[in-house]
Amino acid sequence: MTNELISVIKVHDLLLATMPSDPDDATVAALQEETLTAMDQHEVRGLILDLSKVEILDSYFARTVAETAQMVGLMGGETVIAGMRPAVAITATELGVTLGRTRTALTVERALELAGQRNNATRRR
Amino acid sequence: MSVQTEVITAEQARKNTLNLPVETSLEMLRLLVENIKEYAITTLDSHGLVMTWTPAAERMKGYRPDEVIGRHFSIFYPKEDVSDGKCDRELEVAAREGRFEDEGWRVRKDGSRFWANTVITALRDAQGNSKGFGKVTRDLSERKQAEERNKQQSQDILEMATVPAVQVWEGILLVPLIGMLDSARTQQLMERLLQRLTETSSPVALLDITGVPTIDTQTAQHLIETIKAARYVGAEVILTGVRPAIAQTLVHLGVDLSHTTTRSSLTGGLRVALSLLNLQVAGTTRND
Repeated sequence: MTNELISVIKVHDLLLATMPSDPDDATVAALQEETLTAMDQHEVRGLILDLSKVEILDSYFARTVAETAQMVGLMGGETVIAGMRPAVAITATELGVTLGRTRTALTVERALELAGQRNNATRRR
Repeated sequence: MSVQTEVITAEQARKNTLNLPVETSLEMLRLLVENIKEYAITTLDSHGLVMTWTPAAERMKGYRPDEVIGRHFSIFYPKEDVSDGKCDRELEVAAREGRFEDEGWRVRKDGSRFWANTVITALRDAQGNSKGFGKVTRDLSERKQAEERNKQQSQDILEMATVPAVQVWEGILLVPLIGMLDSARTQQLMERLLQRLTETSSPVALLDITGVPTIDTQTAQHLIETIKAARYVGAEVILTGVRPAIAQTLVHLGVDLSHTTTRSSLTGGLRVALSLLNLQVAGTTRND
């Protein structure tokens, strides 16, 4: 059962997941489910979570995002959250969301750059 | 001597006017009402139905005489005013006090709105019998627009002054804060900083507090939240201008800034910002 509102695609050695503007609880749950399944199926280094369309953030969504990033971490991947809007970021601080070591980027493009830097650094080693 | 001459002339003029036939003066009045461009002068009967209409009124409101004569004057008002009973109230006041003046939105035939000044005057004959109302409307849209523009401009300037955010380098935003930070201002700071960060797509912001005299627990908490929110949108905030007194206060208050990069000088902060963006400042060597 895939949710048609979200997309989780593999780009080279990364996963790119995109959320719709106002996801319901089922969609939020599907995000975690599909991302973890994709992490399991593909040999990827991490996840870029594109939140640029998201306009409304509730506590369930916020918690799920933080949890998913933690789970991806346990599976050996790194999460970069991209494109969070100012209003959503303010809500996130009000909700007291903690992202731990999860990195963030202004845009998906910049998130790919961040992931690329890490990639080069690993290769050089 | 000259005063006397003037008096005689004025007296003469008055006599001349008085000697004019009644028809001529009425004709002059009619021409005035019809030709005046800035004012729409109309008359209403005692129930508020339009009795006379002028070219200026047609230009202002878009109705031809045959479309408007005999209709209630509430067609010139926005729906919410009509349902609020504003039109009846205006006539009531005009009938009781002789005059009613108002400034507000009016509606043209095509539904568009304009800002107008309206004076409704009760018309009574020599015996004091009510003959209806005279209504003079003036279109003040241009003045209103100019006022709105000025208001917007001063608000923009005020906002700029409260939270200035300038781009000092591609990808680096500088926010120099001067004066006390109350909670209203820190809220504005958060909103404007996040907005500017995403607008300019800047991954780094320098928040300079050199000009902030003191910091209390609440302000510090607000600053930490702002830095956190900036991180969520994907930008790093470097707190600069941490003077010795501020450093002492922050530690004594037990404010935890361990997750934030802080520097005493703006230069130090700029160095960190450049290195975050993998940029280097190089001196030029002269070859001559």
